[in-house]
Amino acid sequence: MEDTRRGTVTSLASLFPVEEAQKAANRVQGAMAEKRAELDHLLGFVADNNNLINLVHKLPEELSHEIMVPFGKAAFFPGRLIHTNEFLVLLGEGYYAERTSKQTAEILRRRGKALDSQVDSLEAMIKDLQAEANFFGQTIAEAAEGLVEIREDYIEEDTHGEESKSGPLKQHTSDLEKTEANNEEYTRMVARLDELEKEEELAAESGNDNEIYEQTTEDVGDISYQRHIDSEPHNSEDFHKSVSPVDQSNNKSIATESAEKHHNPDIADQLNFASLDLQSNVGEGKNAAAKKVKFVDHTGKPLIHHEEKTVKATTASKSEVQHQPSQPSFDSHKVCLPFIYIARIHIH
Amino acid sequence: MSSLTSAVRDLQRELENKTNDLSKLQKDIAKNHQVRKKYTVQLGENELVLKELDLLNEDANVYKLIGPVLVKQDLAEANSNVRKRIEYISAELKRLDATVQDLEEKQNSKKDAILKLQQKIQSIQTTKGKA
Repeated sequence: MEDTRRGTVTSLASLFPVEEAQKAANRVQGAMAEKRAELDHLLGFVADNNNLINLVHKLPEELSHEIMVPFGKAAFFPGRLIHTNEFLVLLGEGYYAERTSKQTAEILRRRGKALDSQVDSLEAMIKDLQAEANFFGQTIAEAAEGLVEIREDYIEEDTHGEESKSGPLKQHTSDLEKTEANNEEYTRMVARLDELEKEEELAAESGNDNEIYEQTTEDVGDISYQRHIDSEPHNSEDFHKSVSPVDQSNNKSIATESAEKHHNPDIADQLNFASLDLQSNVGEGKNAAAKKVKFVDHTGKPLIHHEEKTVKATTASKSEVQHQPSQPSFDSHKVCLPFIYIARIHIH
Repeated sequence: MSSLTSAVRDLQRELENKTNDLSKLQKDIAKNHQVRKKYTVQLGENELVLKELDLLNEDANVYKLIGPVLVKQDLAEANSNVRKRIEYISAELKRLDATVQDLEEKQNSKKDAILKLQQKIQSIQTTKGKA
């Protein structure tokens, strides 16, 4: 039952060749090592700064300190450290300032803050590099495993009636619209639709199609829209018989109803426009299904969503019928059904 | 045929010249980057110094290290010196930026010329091969 799906298979190895990914990963590792070395350097400075602040605090505690003074490269001699509160602080660029210990501590603290901000920025850079390295590692592993990327056209399948319908339907609903309110409405509508379908089958066999359709078009409510669409896939005969007059009436009724109901002339224009658009596109068959699903995704308002979908369904089915009258009903069912599924999303 | 080979040889010589020029340009750009880095670091340092000098009292002593000598300086004088230095460094940086851009443009044009030459050589070689 499953059609062969057209699609492209690209192995990840071709997209990201293993050697190149390896090289890139190595490069990132190298950059990370550099940054880490710089970070260590800066952290050393921070530690030195803190030690210096402590020293500067301690020195003024005594009037003079007994120390071993370095003399040349390899000698010391005993001496005394005096003027313990006076510090010549290097400000930078060869400039020194005479300051007390408290003021020196202030200067050092400010320098410490600048160092801290540098450390932070370095750490952020290292984190980014880490993320890059992880990504490369992942792609290397995947490419080595031989993972492939498969892209397929999205095709709905008509296999087992209700259950399969509800399956992709529920998917649609979750993808496209809010799901919570949908499910209640949806179950209600499904029940109603089933009843109506049975009605129409009987009616169609007896040959009163047109009347019923026209009656249903006059009904107020979302259900009317869906009735039209659901009735279509039942029998190809019904389909053929009823489609042309019905669809025209459908289009008109939908257009008018939407205009009345929602007092939004724009929607009617949009619908007509969409239908015109569609008729030029429909010949593409299965791809059309994928396209229309996408188109639906892009529009924002749920109201317009719904109506556009219904119009699309009807016009699509109509032109499908005209273009491919000889095709078995199976195919037309397949093409229409996506729209039906979409149509079942409730509007609110 | 011989004319073709001599043409190829000429083109190859041109290619060599152009590649030499390109490598020279690249060296210049690298040097420029280095000098720029140095200047940027100095600029940062000078700005720090200015900040600290502003925090000093009027009567604080400022000394400048000139060689092995620590020379006492006037606070106002030190301030103005540092400011002038900052301006000078910014001007230098701007000049270097302009030069680097210039050099990069020249580099790109050289690269294009080299590519074209290579293509010509290849085409000549393929026609030689066919003939």
